[in-house]
This record gives sequence, structure tokens and C-alpha cells, in this order.
Amino acid sequence: MKSKLVIAIAAMGIAVLFSSCAKVPQAEIDAATASIQEVKDAGADLYVPEAYQALVDSMKSANEKVEVAKAKWFPNYTKAKDLLAVVSQMAVDTKAKSEARKVELKAEVEAMIVEVKALVEENKGLIAKAPKGKEGREALEAIKSDVAVAETTVTEVEALLANGDLIGSNDKIKAAKEKATAIKAELEEAIAKKGGK
Amino acid sequence: MVSVKKKKTKWVIVILLSLVVVSITISVIIVSQKKLPTEDLRIAREALSEAKEAEANLYAEKLYKESVQMYDSAMINWSRENERFILFRSYDKVINFARKSKKIADEAKDESIKKADNLSKNVEAAFVSLTKKIELYNKLFKDLPLSKSVFDAHNKSKMFLSESKIAHETGKLKDAEVLFKKADIYINHANTAASKMLRDYFSDYPKWKSQANDAIAASRSGNKVILVDKVAHKLYVYQSGKSIRSYDAEFGPNWMAHKERNGDKATPEGHYRITKKKERGNTIYHKALLLDYPNDEDRRQFAIKKQKGLLSRSAGIGNLIEIHGNGGKGFNWTSGCVGLRDRDIDDLYRLVSAGTRVTIVGSIEPLSVITAGLDF
Repeated sequence: MKSKLVIAIAAMGIAVLFSSCAKVPQAEIDAATASIQEVKDAGADLYVPEAYQALVDSMKSANEKVEVAKAKWFPNYTKAKDLLAVVSQMAVDTKAKSEARKVELKAEVEAMIVEVKALVEENKGLIAKAPKGKEGREALEAIKSDVAVAETTVTEVEALLANGDLIGSNDKIKAAKEKATAIKAELEEAIAKKGGK
Repeated sequence: MVSVKKKKTKWVIVILLSLVVVSITISVIIVSQKKLPTEDLRIAREALSEAKEAEANLYAEKLYKESVQMYDSAMINWSRENERFILFRSYDKVINFARKSKKIADEAKDESIKKADNLSKNVEAAFVSLTKKIELYNKLFKDLPLSKSVFDAHNKSKMFLSESKIAHETGKLKDAEVLFKKADIYINHANTAASKMLRDYFSDYPKWKSQANDAIAASRSGNKVILVDKVAHKLYVYQSGKSIRSYDAEFGPNWMAHKERNGDKATPEGHYRITKKKERGNTIYHKALLLDYPNDEDRRQFAIKKQKGLLSRSAGIGNLIEIHGNGGKGFNWTSGCVGLRDRDIDDLYRLVSAGTRVTIVGSIEPLSVITAGLDF
């Protein structure tokens, strides 16, 4: 009677042990998958591509770990769960990084817009001071048109920024800044030459 | 009797337990013999990651997608197999998909690297070609009286080229490609319009050549003859068939046209003579040499055009075309006159007198000489 009781308790214990380890951590998988989607929606694949890729790879690895556990006689999802927890944390971090990069990029673009606008105004002032003599006026006409193009680009950048295209606006404003800076240098050189004569 | 029955039962239990142990052992052996696809999937995943790093999703999109699909299929099949009873599971398909995924991911990576490299080279070649086109414009067309749209197209192309270079520097080759294509469209528009204008203008070259030859021939008698080349922006003084002086010259903003009427800002073309020399005080342009524009040919042409309705009824033929000072501004600013630097008009003023022949032509050189060395 006593031995029968021991066997029954042991069997129940084993059953409890196995049943507790055998469940696929679906809730954790779903949570991690949802958090990755959230990160993607936040534009992490664009703003922090390396971090985003690492996140995706880790999720794949976690899924593989789930299947490895499932393939065993007595599945144990502890490792998979641990990795899924890491993935969820990574997702939070990546999203934060992405948001921070967006804020940083937006600030950079806005600062450059201000800079380019100032350069455009400065260039307009320099055009008025630039020599109208030899190598002057005709070149100035071309420069005026160049300044106008830079000015138009700033307007385009502002529109892109309003639409949330930070990367596109960043590239465009960089080109406009390059142009406006080159124009300024050209004008200053011409004015310096005039002063030297 | 009870003892025999107990013994029998004991034996049955022993045999059954042995059977269970044996079958469990066999099952464990079977399962342990089955190769799990873990390693193949890890390799496939890493290959995919490397392909992504090589931007295969951009430059070898089809292969990359195929590889992703293979990996996903492997995972789905693995999950499906794991749902089956352990002894009936087979991972062959899973391994097959994983290996295919790896193979295709490697191909995608290689193709991507190759394509990106080619694209980078193409973009660099396009930069060279675009820069040449921009240089062509700057050398040949910049001074032409072009429309604002042509001027703007040229400047836009420069801006797109800058943007394209930035995209190229940051490794965004596809963006660089899109941007240089835009730049190319704009510069082609500007250069085509400017080329057409120049070619159309040079359709008069045989006439100019004949007029220039006449002028040079007229100088062979020892008389000084002024020959003005509008395209070269030069004024030459010929004597005894040789050029004895040359000065930089400026014209009206609409200089690439023969003067037809008052206020058209064009500089006339043809044979003229100096009718009057204006000293300082008689002109606001330092010194001036008044020409006999309009001459008889100008009047005849003016009358024909007016008759044909090509000129408005109120249009006047214009006058007071001079070679004068106040030049050296670096652009075409006169109302149709020929502008020289003050020191040059001083020199010319000493050389010539009233009655000196002045021949104004579009160009002394043919278009082929002017565009030599340029990709025109």
C-alpha cells in the first residue's frame, strides 16, 4: 500500500514537472513579435538599421530556440524564454535609439535650414557688394540663379521635414548648404579681389 | 497454486516492463539518431544577415526575397514537424529549405556586391559625364542670351548633382542614381536648348566668313579695318591683312541677334563705317565711335520685315550704335553698342578715324573650331 502511494506521488510529480515545462511560450513570442513591429513602425529600420537588423536576427534565433525545445522528448523553453525576454528588451532599446536618432536628425536638419537660410541672406548681401566689373556681373547673374536654387531647395526641405522624411530632408539640406557655402566663398573671393585692387 | 499464479504474474510484469524499456530505448535511439536542423537554420540565418548587410534586399531583391522565403518555409516546416509524434518526425525538408536559403542568400550577397559595385562605377562615370556637360555649358553656353528656364535647368542640374554626390558618399547608391538621372535630364534640357540656339545662330556662318574676308581684304591696302567677333567677344583692328590689335568687347543682352529695331538690345551685324568720333564730354561712355547704323541694307531689311508684319507698326529701326568705353563689366550690358574698357577705347580712338570700316560678324571661326575639344 505504501509503495503504491509512493509510485502515485512520483508519477504525479513527473507529470507536473513535464507539463510545467512543455508549454510553448506563445505569449512571450507574440509580445516580442509585436514589439518588433512597433519598432519597425517607428522607423528603426531606417534610422538605426544595424540595431534593427540585430533585433530581427535575435528574434529569429529565439524562434529557432523554441523549435529546438519543441523537438525534444521533454521540452524545456527556459532558454527560449530568456532570449525572448532579451529580444523584448532589445526592442525597447532599439525603439528608444530610433526615436533619439529621429530627434537628433530633426534638430540637425532644422539647424541646417537656419544655417542655409542665413547663408542665402548673407549671399544676397554679398551680391550687392560684389564687383560689377570684369568677371563680375555676368558671374553674379549666374550666382543669383544659384542662390535662388538653394533657396528653393530650403523650401523643399521644409516640406519634406513636415512630411516626416528626415533622411531625404537631411541629404537635400546638406547639398543646399554645400551650394550656399560655395557661393559665399566665391563672392567673398571676388570682393576680396576688388578690395586688393 | 497461488504461488504459481503469483510467479506467472511476476513474469508477465517483468516481460512487459522489459518491453517498455526496450521500446523506450529504441525510441530514444531513433530520436537521437535524427539530425535536428538547428545548425542548418543558424547558418541560413547568418547567411541572410550577411546578405542584408550587403544590401541584397536592394541590389539583389529577387534572390534575397527567395532566400527569406526559404528560411521562413524551413521554420514553418520545423514547427509543423514538431507538432507530430516524436517518432514520426522528419526534418529532411526543413534542412533542405535551410540549405537552399543559405545557398540563395550567398548568391544574393555576391550579386548584391557585384551590382552595387557596378552601380557605384556607373554613378561615378555619370558624375564625370555630368561634370563634362556642366563644363560644356560653362565654357560654351554661359554667355549666350538664354531663356530663364534654360538657366534654371542648368542650376537645378548642378544642385541634383551635388545631392547625388552626397548620396553616393553615404553609400545610398540607388538614391544617387535617381538623383543623377534627374541632374542629367536638367542639364540635357539646358544644353540641348543652348546647342540649338548656337547651331541656329551659326547657320549664318558662310555670310559672316565672307564679310570677315572682305574686311580683312579691305585692310590689305594699308587702311585700318575694325572686325568685331560677337561670339568671341573680341574687337580686332586689321591693317595690311594682319590683326594689329585685339580687345575684349561687350554687347547688348540680346547680342546673338542682328539688330532689327529700336530697343531690341541686339548688336547689328554687317559692314559699317565710323561716322563720328566723340571725345570725352561728348559722350557718357568715356569716348565713342558712332557707326552708320542703320545703313541701306538695314533699312531695306527693316522695311521688308515691317511689310511682312514681322515687326510692329510702331517699331523704329533704332540708331546711335557706337563703339564706346565704360566696358570691362564682364557681361553684355549695352543697348546694342560695342563696349570696350576705357583704356582700350583710348587706344582704338587714337588708331582709327571717321570713315574707318567696321565689320561686325557673329563669328570669324566656324562652330567646329569654337567647339573643338568639347563634347558638343
